[in-house]
Amino acid sequence: MQCMVSESRRSQLLRGVLDLCLLAVMDEGPAYGYEMTKRLRERGLSIVGEGSIYPLLGRLERDGLVETYRAASNGGPPRKYYRPSSAGRLALALGVSEWRAARDAVDAVLAPVKVEVAS
Amino acid sequence: MSDFVEQCRGEWKRLGVPDPLAEEMAADLASDLSEAEAEGVSAEEFLGSSVFDPSSFAASWAAARGIVPVPPSRGNARRRPFVLVAFTALAAITVIVSALLLATGEPKLSLATSRTTPAGPTRSVVHSVSAAAPVEWILLLLAVVALGFAAWLWASSSRSRPPTAPA
Repeated sequence: MQCMVSESRRSQLLRGVLDLCLLAVMDEGPAYGYEMTKRLRERGLSIVGEGSIYPLLGRLERDGLVETYRAASNGGPPRKYYRPSSAGRLALALGVSEWRAARDAVDAVLAPVKVEVAS
Repeated sequence: MSDFVEQCRGEWKRLGVPDPLAEEMAADLASDLSEAEAEGVSAEEFLGSSVFDPSSFAASWAAARGIVPVPPSRGNARRRPFVLVAFTALAAITVIVSALLLATGEPKLSLATSRTTPAGPTRSVVHSVSAAAPVEWILLLLAVVALGFAAWLWASSSRSRPPTAPA
């Protein structure tokens, strides 16, 4: 039960910033869908839970925040690569700033809380 | 996993997604799933709970790309009938009440007027037996219009309801 609550909270926290995370990893270099999830996983973000990255990538594409092109992957079939557009880079910069402000405010509230884990 | 891609393809066809776009999405999905499988990542790890509901996954992806209208959220879909029922009931009650008031109308107001004539002031008292009638008529008219609007909402709501998926 405790684990389910924790998973749900984590999922909700991620939902608001997953678009930023995707823009950030594709800003490091163009990537296709699965490649992005690998980059996120390498940083400890094993995402999804509530869905997948595809609808989110679709929304970013519809909103003009990413540019796409098709190219062959390493010996595999042609893949759809994503990279941030100039509007996407601006959205990323603004989003990161908002995230940091929100994180600092929450930290200020939660910092005094002493966490004791029963052994 | 090809089953999952095929079910997505079927859903896109049902939703009227143009074939080239459906093919593009299916190809991307199939390539990613194959790569994940080759690396030992399960479809559930990659797609999350979507893997159990390919229709919703396919619909939300197409909607996010702006190819098909956004499906109504479950919360809204559940709430709408209650709001519509309440609105219809209110309109119907208003029709009945205003009709009853008109049918059994008693004077609600008495108007007293006085005027001065060259011959001297005269005073006349006018009892209006239908002083409230205009208000009731307006109420009735509004209620009938609201009832018609409710009927139109019911009709369009049943038209836009998606067909039930075959078992």
